[in-house]
Amino acid sequence: MSDVKSLEHPTLKVPYELLNKKFRSAQKTLDREVSHVQAATNELEKGLKTDGTNVATGEITRLLGGVVARLQVLKRKAEESIAEELQAGMVCKRRLDHLKEHANTAPSAVNQWRRQRLDRMLVEYFLRKGYYKTAMKLADSGELCDLTNIDVFMVSREVEKSLANHETARCLGWCHDNRSKLRKLGSTMEFNLRVQEFIELVRADRRLDAVKHARKCFANYDDYQLQEIQCCMGQLAFPANTYLSPYKHLLDEKRWDRLIEQFRHENYRLFQLASQSVFTVALQAGLSALKTPQCYSANREGRNPSCPVCNEALNELAASLPFAHCSQSRLVCTISGKPLNEHNQPMMMPNGYVYGERALEKMAQENNGSVTCPKTKEVFPYKKIEKVFVM
Amino acid sequence: MEACNAVEREVDKVLLKFGAINEHAGTVLRDLINHIESLKKELEEAPSDHELTPGQVQVLKQAMTKVRDTVQRLATDHRDLHSTVSKVGKAIDRNFIADFASTSREDVFSGPEKTHLLNEVICRHFYRQGMFDIADELAAEASIESDEGSKEPFAGLNHILDCLKQRNLEPALEWARHFREPLLAMDSSLEFKLHRLHFIRLVQQGPSKQAEAIMYARKHLTEFVSRHEKEVQSLMGTLLYLPNGIQSSPYSHLLDPTLWLDIHDVFAKDACMLFGLSVDSPLSVCINAGCTALPALLNIKQVMQQRQVTGIWNGKDELPIEIDLGKQSQYHSVFACPILRQQSTENNPPMKLVCGHVISRDALNKLTSANKNQFISRLKCPYCPVEQNPEDARLIYF
Repeated sequence: MSDVKSLEHPTLKVPYELLNKKFRSAQKTLDREVSHVQAATNELEKGLKTDGTNVATGEITRLLGGVVARLQVLKRKAEESIAEELQAGMVCKRRLDHLKEHANTAPSAVNQWRRQRLDRMLVEYFLRKGYYKTAMKLADSGELCDLTNIDVFMVSREVEKSLANHETARCLGWCHDNRSKLRKLGSTMEFNLRVQEFIELVRADRRLDAVKHARKCFANYDDYQLQEIQCCMGQLAFPANTYLSPYKHLLDEKRWDRLIEQFRHENYRLFQLASQSVFTVALQAGLSALKTPQCYSANREGRNPSCPVCNEALNELAASLPFAHCSQSRLVCTISGKPLNEHNQPMMMPNGYVYGERALEKMAQENNGSVTCPKTKEVFPYKKIEKVFVM
Repeated sequence: MEACNAVEREVDKVLLKFGAINEHAGTVLRDLINHIESLKKELEEAPSDHELTPGQVQVLKQAMTKVRDTVQRLATDHRDLHSTVSKVGKAIDRNFIADFASTSREDVFSGPEKTHLLNEVICRHFYRQGMFDIADELAAEASIESDEGSKEPFAGLNHILDCLKQRNLEPALEWARHFREPLLAMDSSLEFKLHRLHFIRLVQQGPSKQAEAIMYARKHLTEFVSRHEKEVQSLMGTLLYLPNGIQSSPYSHLLDPTLWLDIHDVFAKDACMLFGLSVDSPLSVCINAGCTALPALLNIKQVMQQRQVTGIWNGKDELPIEIDLGKQSQYHSVFACPILRQQSTENNPPMKLVCGHVISRDALNKLTSANKNQFISRLKCPYCPVEQNPEDARLIYF
């Protein structure tokens, strides 16, 4: 499995879902316009049939004009919607082209690609966290707009904003837009919004309106929501500042925050986005792969400032993650950073610290045959250094 | 790669078919419109009290049937493209992994404290890349108090690195002079290397700059003679070849342009070491490591699920497999006991036997107790014939 294969699913799936959505709406538009054309032709045929043979030309030309107008509308709409579909297809294509650049193994190209990948991941992470301005700025600076799902999140940003202002209209519009998909997913978003509207009416003490609202909206929900509806109805009997448990809970302002949470979650499901961002997933895997017991050793000398996991903040973040697995010793010389192996034998100082033969030799040459332990600052003659064998 | 190609094939099909239907719809509808309009014109030309002949009625009826059929077919044609579109989705699902998050735990980075820490890491990453505007924006949106202290060194360093790329040594030299003491303590030869490059640049300009080069060497290189005697000697040697050009002299290696790339790296490394920072951004190192590790982890997860042994990996102590991240990403010595096949820990540290072989303390204890004699405990090294007293084994530190 390659990294592209395991990490880039959302990069392609989201534009595909958009293409699919465009296709469905195009089909709807086409069907509607086709039926309009057919209605116009039917009308004309009726005009031809009316009373045997005596048909006035004036009337017929008028009807013919109607057919032409309808046809022209169909032509325009067909062109528009197919163009949109093509555009959505091109987005998929562009992303594929970008992913294919991954195959280029020239070091500079690899580095560039990796940097872009990190930026793409960060853009998505920011979007998920709601840092829209940062996400936009980063996407603009790296020309990543085409490669990230920024549009999808911009739509959700508007909805979230309106929910935060305690307005339901925009979110209901979103539910309407994606109705068939949401129904397939078994979403309770719309129901919860309706409940919220009901609660707001009760809060404002417009109980009659609340009852009307309930009659209109709660009638056609399924059985399993019955309990919630009952709960709402019960609320009608209590004042808006009640302390009793289920009603107080419903009136809680935090319910709006939960709606925002739910909306985010449903939006991810709609586009088949995972609940975690690629960024956090990759970061977790990376921290685990790099994490060694030394990064957490009590004495700080075991830490390496170049090691990401020894970095203060990341160290804390990685605390609960698993360590890297290692069944074969991998030794590095802490003086030179070079690996220890048969070409650079591990050597032990009398104080028990092990370094590479080459680094110690060099140190001895420069210091008239004596070596200093970089960790304890003790000085030993080079002759006292012993070889160790690590299998 | 083949995953991309498989999806691309389907996408190409979609683009092709939509292109075709677009063209087809355009021409068909244009023809229809022209046809109906010509019929209309014909009728309009007739006097207003004219009545349709049966022939005309017939023609009109035929035309209407044609219109109906054509537009109906158009809609059906478009609907038939659905299978092509949905094939793209299937190809994506087949070739890419949707539940890539299955190996990671959601709780690790959740919660306000963790989010804050993570945002700080990201913010520092951007400072380090020199993308200050983005870092500031993030700091504002995520409400991180951005201390000027963490920003300052990077602003300066990035400027110096840019100058070095343009072969401007001055800012770097000034920086090196300013931090001379700590740099010397680190055994860094950065300042000497910068002076050497400056000298080489003078020498390269030919005999006309000879005096200037000598002056420069006297002024700046003398203090380095004790530490870099050999190098200073060879720099002086270049002066001999000045009239004939250094290109054809034994010192031509000094003109190598890679020296300029080297100085860039040396500067970055020494500066980062001085400030106690890592050379590469920790975040990008982690992400790259993660991108290498993840495919392997997903693979092993899948295998474990097939064998129904998922319980073994609880995601807490250790990853189930070894991940090779390459030499660059090896920051610590890891000693794995060759007998127990376990990483050493503080409770089970590596021990050196008298013969020089290293095993873990647990393994040593096990071997000792197995051969326990009432009077003396003797141990034969598992790797060589040496017999010894286990008491003589000593703790070592990697």
